[in-house]
Amino acid sequence: MSGEMANEIKLISGRSHPELSEKVAKRLGIEVARTISLNYSNQETSFTVGESVRDEDVFIIQSTATGDVNEGLMELLIAISACRTASARRITAVIPNFPYARQDKKDKSRAPISARLVANMLQTAGANHIVTVDLHASQIQGFFSVPVDNLYAEPSFLRYIRENYKAEDCVIVSPDAGGAKRATSIADHLNTGFALIHKERPRPNVVGRMVLVGNVEDKIAILVDDMADTCGTLCKAASVLKENGAKAVLALVTHGILSGNAIENLNGSVLEALICTNTVPLGDKIERCPKIRAIDISPTIAEAIRRTHNGESVSYLFNHAPV
Amino acid sequence: MRGTLIFSGSSCPALTGKVCENLGMTPADAELTQFSNGETSVRILTSVREKDVFVVQSGSPKINDTIMELLIMISACKGGSASKITAVLPYFPYSRQSKKKSHRGAITARMLANLLGVAGVKHIITVDLHASQMQGFFKCPVDNLHAEPLIARWIRQNVPDWKEAVVVSKNAGGTKRVTSLADALKLNFGMVTTDKKRGNGNMTGSMILNPIDAVLDPIGEQVIEAVESEEIPTSNITQPVAGAASPARRPHGSSLHSAKSLPSRLRSSTLALDGVDEEGEDGLEYNDQRVHEVTQARLVHGHIVPDDFESPAVSTATSVAGDDPMTMSYASLHSQHHAALGGSGDAAESSDEDEEILKDPKVEHMVTLVGDVKNRTVFIVDDMIDKPGSWIAAAETVVKRGLAKKVYCIATHAVFGADCLEQLQDCDSIHHILVTNSYPIPEEKARNATKLHVLDLSYLLAEAIRRNHYGESISPLFQHIME
Repeated sequence: MSGEMANEIKLISGRSHPELSEKVAKRLGIEVARTISLNYSNQETSFTVGESVRDEDVFIIQSTATGDVNEGLMELLIAISACRTASARRITAVIPNFPYARQDKKDKSRAPISARLVANMLQTAGANHIVTVDLHASQIQGFFSVPVDNLYAEPSFLRYIRENYKAEDCVIVSPDAGGAKRATSIADHLNTGFALIHKERPRPNVVGRMVLVGNVEDKIAILVDDMADTCGTLCKAASVLKENGAKAVLALVTHGILSGNAIENLNGSVLEALICTNTVPLGDKIERCPKIRAIDISPTIAEAIRRTHNGESVSYLFNHAPV
Repeated sequence: MRGTLIFSGSSCPALTGKVCENLGMTPADAELTQFSNGETSVRILTSVREKDVFVVQSGSPKINDTIMELLIMISACKGGSASKITAVLPYFPYSRQSKKKSHRGAITARMLANLLGVAGVKHIITVDLHASQMQGFFKCPVDNLHAEPLIARWIRQNVPDWKEAVVVSKNAGGTKRVTSLADALKLNFGMVTTDKKRGNGNMTGSMILNPIDAVLDPIGEQVIEAVESEEIPTSNITQPVAGAASPARRPHGSSLHSAKSLPSRLRSSTLALDGVDEEGEDGLEYNDQRVHEVTQARLVHGHIVPDDFESPAVSTATSVAGDDPMTMSYASLHSQHHAALGGSGDAAESSDEDEEILKDPKVEHMVTLVGDVKNRTVFIVDDMIDKPGSWIAAAETVVKRGLAKKVYCIATHAVFGADCLEQLQDCDSIHHILVTNSYPIPEEKARNATKLHVLDLSYLLAEAIRRNHYGESISPLFQHIME
């Protein structure tokens, strides 16, 4: 949709993560567009764009805060729909933490593939392009018939590890078999060892028995995963690693969802630190848990927006974290 | 019913239970929970393969969660190879956002219609859509059922003197709904409009009492301006009474015209009366066009004026009474009480109602009543009750100014945002509240609301489901049940 006329980036922020939007806007050197978003007394969401988006390149940033997933999603859909109705040239939904990403397969009889439903909903509302970070499963991209840019937090993680630890002291650990690919990729980049914890998971959010495969003795064990929800898995994995002689245990996750009693779990665990990006609003959780450290993902998102707008390649960002 | 499954969303298990009871079945098994991060989880615990699936979901205070749950349930049933999925939405969420209200606002109702289609809905059953045009938002068929026959029947059976009652719309947009009920019951109707924009500064309420069938002289367009000022000599305004319409009008008009020169800070009310209605006695001849013209006139209506203190001088402009006493405007009647048309009488009254004002300072509309409600039972009708303000304003208008005997607030959808029900319960001008169970009303709220009557929609919905399943016509459900 590259027209003759120059159009501009309009950055619209949902209510779920205004801090991230501000940071992205600051990096892009623009202002977040004025919008009015509110809930009526019957809790229906209303969204009005306060300035013209006619023929503009609209980016709507909406993460999903814990507990408000459906609120955030509906607000995003209504915002997209409002921009579509207001004749925006292109609408890109920037969803750092894709909601319902874990409901991506029919793993039981009649289980809903809610991630596909969300994908269809976004397109129905009028999204032309999706930008997200570390999708739980890359296959979710296939649920869309519009382009999806799945950004990686990995370059930011690599830089964090290189800046704070000696790579040769570390061993990268995947807390489950499914995340092995993610962990090995980081281990390859750092040229360090790799281990895997196999777990039996009787029910979602409940952790069963764990077995360590690999050697972590006298090493800094770095658990790598895409999201930390109740942190049950991570905390249990950390103690398994400690029992197996790890010097210290860190966790590196993209999405710090931290719902339920995650903070209590973290505070009571042997985990030294939980390093996560700010794709999900952390709120006061950093104050409540000194173990949480946040990596700012906004440079990556801002650069992806800039490149998307200018029609440049985004693949550079898959291996490099903008400073 | 063979081959049919009815699932209940978490918003309305009670209603679904009743619907199923009517059909002699039990709701199908589904587990509806939330993950700890707030994502909705749905597990359909029974086979839906090649079944005719109905999913019942109403609104709830967590409306967005409710919608997501519905969409995921539909999606799960579709993924489970259901032959047809029908969404039964007694209350259609976001139905008020059905048009582009502001610049760059969203038409959320249309979007929701599309989302339902995307999730896999093949048919929609709903009740009293806020705007029936919304049926056009869907690509699939929509059965928009009406609660009106049920309401009409309840009125016939439970309101003692319903044949003398007047159906009143509390806003201009809902007039169509009101005339429909009025036609069904063969009653007269009236209208109350609340004008938000003009409530600036002085927030003066005004009421026009235009007789439904006022007969006017062929004077073309007569503009009467009433200006809020005590300086208006009220003595020379002849009080228009029944049978004295024509002579009354002249001084009335002229004196008020003279008031035009008064300072502009005083809000003026204009009454434009146009044309003659030869068929004055026929209330049904009172068409929308006519109403529209008449609503330009306003009477200051004290008790919902928040800052009457600051402008104690309020004036009353009246419409002109017709020859038929039955069609005489309320304004005339009212001004008879005060023996003057001017502001003084009204001002006195408004100061009497300071308590009222303090009690409800948020209401800041000008209220305009059209129609004769004196000593009658009034049914104020709309499609939903969400905020109490306009209901209370309308009820107070018809009771305190229109001298109505009893007020029934009637709506299909009892959304009752915040403390709406409590406020309606506490309002002395409201005697009964009649709603349906399309939107779940929390037990603890309903228990304390002695004025509340809840009609059961389950039979209507069950019948719609049954007829849909067997491919029978839905039209009989729209017909009024005559005793």
